[in-house]
Amino acid sequence: MAATAFHQAFGTLRSRDCVTHSGLKHENGSASFKLISKSSKLDIALLNRGTYCSRKRSFSLVQASASQTTVSDPVSTPSNGKTTESKKKSSEAALILIRHGESMWNEKNLFTGCVDVPLTEKGVEEAIEAGKRISNIPIDMIYTSALIRAQMTAMLAMTEHRRKKVPIILHNESERAKSWSQIFSEETKKQCVPVVTAWQLNERMYGELQGLNKQETADRYGAEQVHEWRRSYDIPPPNGESLEMCAERAVAYFKEYIEPQLLSGKNVMIAAHGNSLRSIIMYLDKLTSQEVISLELSTGIPMLYISKEGRFIRRGSPVAPTEAGVYAYTKVMQTFLCH
Amino acid sequence: MAATSFHQVFRSLQSQNHLNYSNFKQGNENSSFRFISKGFKLDINLLRRGTYCSKRRSFGVIKTSASQNSTAFDPVSAPSNGTTTDSNKKSSEAALVLIRHGESMWNEKNLFTGCVNVPLTEKGVEEAIEAGKRISNIPVDMIYTSALIRAQMTAMLAMTEHRNKKVPIILHDESEQAKTWSQIFSEETEKQCIPVITAWQLNKRMYGELQGLNKQETADRYGTDQVHEWRRSYDIPPPNGESLEMCAERAVAYFKEYIEPQLLSGKNVMIAAHGNSLRSIIMYLDELTSQEVISLELSTGIPMLYIFKDGRFTRRGSPVAPTEASVYAYTKSLAQYRQKLDERFQS
Repeated sequence: MAATAFHQAFGTLRSRDCVTHSGLKHENGSASFKLISKSSKLDIALLNRGTYCSRKRSFSLVQASASQTTVSDPVSTPSNGKTTESKKKSSEAALILIRHGESMWNEKNLFTGCVDVPLTEKGVEEAIEAGKRISNIPIDMIYTSALIRAQMTAMLAMTEHRRKKVPIILHNESERAKSWSQIFSEETKKQCVPVVTAWQLNERMYGELQGLNKQETADRYGAEQVHEWRRSYDIPPPNGESLEMCAERAVAYFKEYIEPQLLSGKNVMIAAHGNSLRSIIMYLDKLTSQEVISLELSTGIPMLYISKEGRFIRRGSPVAPTEAGVYAYTKVMQTFLCH
Repeated sequence: MAATSFHQVFRSLQSQNHLNYSNFKQGNENSSFRFISKGFKLDINLLRRGTYCSKRRSFGVIKTSASQNSTAFDPVSAPSNGTTTDSNKKSSEAALVLIRHGESMWNEKNLFTGCVNVPLTEKGVEEAIEAGKRISNIPVDMIYTSALIRAQMTAMLAMTEHRNKKVPIILHDESEQAKTWSQIFSEETEKQCIPVITAWQLNKRMYGELQGLNKQETADRYGTDQVHEWRRSYDIPPPNGESLEMCAERAVAYFKEYIEPQLLSGKNVMIAAHGNSLRSIIMYLDELTSQEVISLELSTGIPMLYIFKDGRFTRRGSPVAPTEASVYAYTKSLAQYRQKLDERFQS
């Protein structure tokens, strides 16, 4: 075969910045922020937004008078004279986490776990809404679990993405699957966002509770016992996983496969499940097991982290297009937006 | 593990008719049809609808006056052979629904897709949901899709519209862990499941070195005549790709080995797949020649219904959309199934 395989191209993707916005990653000593208001004319005075950041950063006080468009006032910050280093590789990358919406067993109040149940109409709508919220955030790679409800959430969200790059699910379950899914146009490959599916990002496996409803389960095992399984950190349901076990495989996968992508500047989206995402957040935010038990993730609301120099900064949730709010983009994302 | 696994239940599903409506499969020697109008007041005088059937059947001529309430219909009095009480008699009639997925992101960009795993566009999503509305009254016991996300999404989106509210569950057997991790432990829940099987044999025709190229690029690279030949011939494959003949071989083999036995045992099946794999199957169902299959075009997102009875396939056309004012001919058992759904929703 004369043409190069998609997988070879995929390999080279890892080692260079091929996304168009990389040319604009100007590094300054201190980070500066542009504030973009998506609502009508507002005068916004912003102070140190310490609550959103778990690490110390310096902020400039910005007064922006914003109109309905994305026009912003450039903030003047001390420059170290390196503005022309446009090709300098930045270690800043966006990480988006999306928990899938309502599944058909959520609707029926059944324990789902790793049973491969699809989304309801409502879950489909949640995914599309989530897509609108992240339509302006660059995405270079997508990771999902092996379950259809997470994959559909990712694919539905991407139908709303402004960049119009096409997500392509990679297949390596067999030699035939690999060769059959090859792409033979360089131009097309550049317009692709690789999608990797991984069972390690699956929902916590619920063992013998899978398929039972809450009443059945309380009847069978007792309400106390059920509460313990659902809320403890390290006690698994019969033949199932504890949250600790789920965290172990999810975080290990994240560290081995996803973190290197972020370190090389790739923007990543992960579409997965309540427990696997909580596990990853536990790692990103360095939560204790007590804290992670009480952590609840909204369905269909994407969460944004910025990965920079090996640190993860939680940036909250991008606003929906119809919300009148303020969302702080980093400078990098701002320049991405303007293209 | 004390509880039964989903896969055991699945196997037992294959050998018994456990669906509610199976009690209503009263086979008569002469098929009788009920006509249900979804539109406004109509007087319908129907003759032999020979064009829809590739096999000879006898039809009754029926006059119905239909109202906007689509659940009212006149029972047709048909000659009965007196076996109306054989409610549990196993019937070999089953419904087969074929759906071709809608617009994918590379369709939109005019690129050859083949087996590259490209998802649906917004439009493709809507097409799938529309298709679901059309088949919301047709019983589905098993679903087969290809290994590509655009077909799987089409099936799952269509099923969000289905009235019987059974839940499709994708079966996993890529590894031992995948099997054990996806087990279901409630009998009741298992009965409310529709198994979904993904099979690469139902994939789109593999387009070899044309995958990812656009039509202009391809014409430039190989010449328009050559491209036309690859796209329209029966047995000439693109470089390192499949011809339609090769695609048909694997798709029909899969159908005969795995899907036809389900239909024989009375299971209603839905297949969500691609243009070429479905054409191959239709070639088999309708006994088309290779010349005929080349010119066969399948609409995207419009489901096609076949009735499988006594080893024969009868094409029944496309179920109408809820907003269309027309007539769709249900078989007796389909009509009864529909009636049961209506009753359940009215109570």
